[in-house]
Amino acid sequence: MTNVYVHGVGMTQFGTFVDRTMKDLLLDACIQALNEAGNPKVDAVYVGNFMGGSIYNQEILGAIVANELGLGFIPTAKVEGACASGGIAVRQGVLGIQSGEYETVLVAGVEKMKHASTADVTQAINAAMDNDSNEKRAGLTFPGFFGVLANRYFYETGASKKHLAMVALKNRENAMQNPLAQFRKPATLEEIMEARMITNPLGLFDCSPMTDGAAAIVLSSKKSPVHVRSSAQSSGPTQMQDADDLLSIPAIKESGRLAYEKAGVGPEDIDVVEIHDCFSMTEMLAIEELGFFAKREGWKAIEEGRTKVIGDKPVNTSGGLLSRGHPIGATGISQLYQLVHQLRGTAPNQVEGNPRLALAQNLGGTGSYSVVHILERV
Amino acid sequence: MRVMKIFACMNCDYHSVTSKYTCPKCQQGKLQETEVSPKGTVYSFTDIHVAPAEFAHIAPYTVALIQLDEAPVKVTARMDSEVTIGDAVELKGLEEGAFIYTKAN
Ligand SMILES: [Zn+2]
Repeated sequence: MTNVYVHGVGMTQFGTFVDRTMKDLLLDACIQALNEAGNPKVDAVYVGNFMGGSIYNQEILGAIVANELGLGFIPTAKVEGACASGGIAVRQGVLGIQSGEYETVLVAGVEKMKHASTADVTQAINAAMDNDSNEKRAGLTFPGFFGVLANRYFYETGASKKHLAMVALKNRENAMQNPLAQFRKPATLEEIMEARMITNPLGLFDCSPMTDGAAAIVLSSKKSPVHVRSSAQSSGPTQMQDADDLLSIPAIKESGRLAYEKAGVGPEDIDVVEIHDCFSMTEMLAIEELGFFAKREGWKAIEEGRTKVIGDKPVNTSGGLLSRGHPIGATGISQLYQLVHQLRGTAPNQVEGNPRLALAQNLGGTGSYSVVHILERV
Repeated sequence: MRVMKIFACMNCDYHSVTSKYTCPKCQQGKLQETEVSPKGTVYSFTDIHVAPAEFAHIAPYTVALIQLDEAPVKVTARMDSEVTIGDAVELKGLEEGAFIYTKAN
């Protein structure tokens, strides 16, 4: 099979940019990535975006990128997979190269959220639930799903709100060193635990924020020092009430299993990880589902500091969704931005010992989509 | 309400409160509608303080995942009061497509 390599990455500052347009953010990230790649001839563009249509009234993002950057009359598409839009867009690029159709693909992700009210954004995010379900009509939300999950997790394990706070604190401490992160102000465990309740037991710091931002990556079959060792994607139940085991997200587990299988490696071989911590609870569960820690024991690994930058399995050295920020369509690509820098040895919170294998996991919906990419320094 | 409609696979032990074209577990069987008691216990819950625009007027409200007593099926419902895991609950009614549950006496 054709190998796929990373030739360039780009990322805007994540945060509140009410005065910058979606196009401006998108092109900024694309130009950074293209410059880093030496401005190659691009054969196709994929753009990950979730709510450009619903809250910003802007579509045709792929064509805008091709046109504004003068890439020629090449094929482009927007990819939507809720919060996994960016990761799925990257996977489309990988598949396009592996098929032999394209040599070089530009993949970007973008979201504009901060111009809208929280209620309107929450409503727009709820488009990633099944409108026809009694569950959505009951008033369940995304944070709500992970709140229900967290209460059960607490009930079945020794974990408590303090463990969720430890995840949020770790990611905040990482973001403080990341110049592109949205939240770089220090926080304390007490402050996190006492913050305003969003959906019991999840407080403000347990939930990823609304963010403006963009990220981009240039992929090619031509060799580079960063190899996309595997790309895998899975679906899962779109409703909480259909979960066989509430404390499992099958899409994460299955996408991880497939990615390891294709790469011929196991969780023990991974040196650095970016996980989809849309909520602190999600990170606790994902580190179990991806096989880094035993089922129902993710909270112990967190308590022991094993997922810190200096731990044996560093998770979210960028600050994660919780503190780097979560501009939905850009998130999956910003994970790869951090990991590419980790493999080059140029990341904020650089992991010691020249990491060789890096894993990114990007989730959409209440476990509806999950994408895993494993990158390798070659 | 006396009954809860559920769907059972005719080929394996899969059950769900939602219908599917084909059983997601064995990927072979068709699902057959059947009726059970809506009574159950709270498997887990959350109190939603920050709600989407369409529910903002009733926030904070409680959403629970309810394990039915008579079938291996869980149902997401809105509660009419706060609950905790293990509480016995019963169906109070339907409201715009949502199951509304209440604590059993
Ligand atoms: Zn079946």
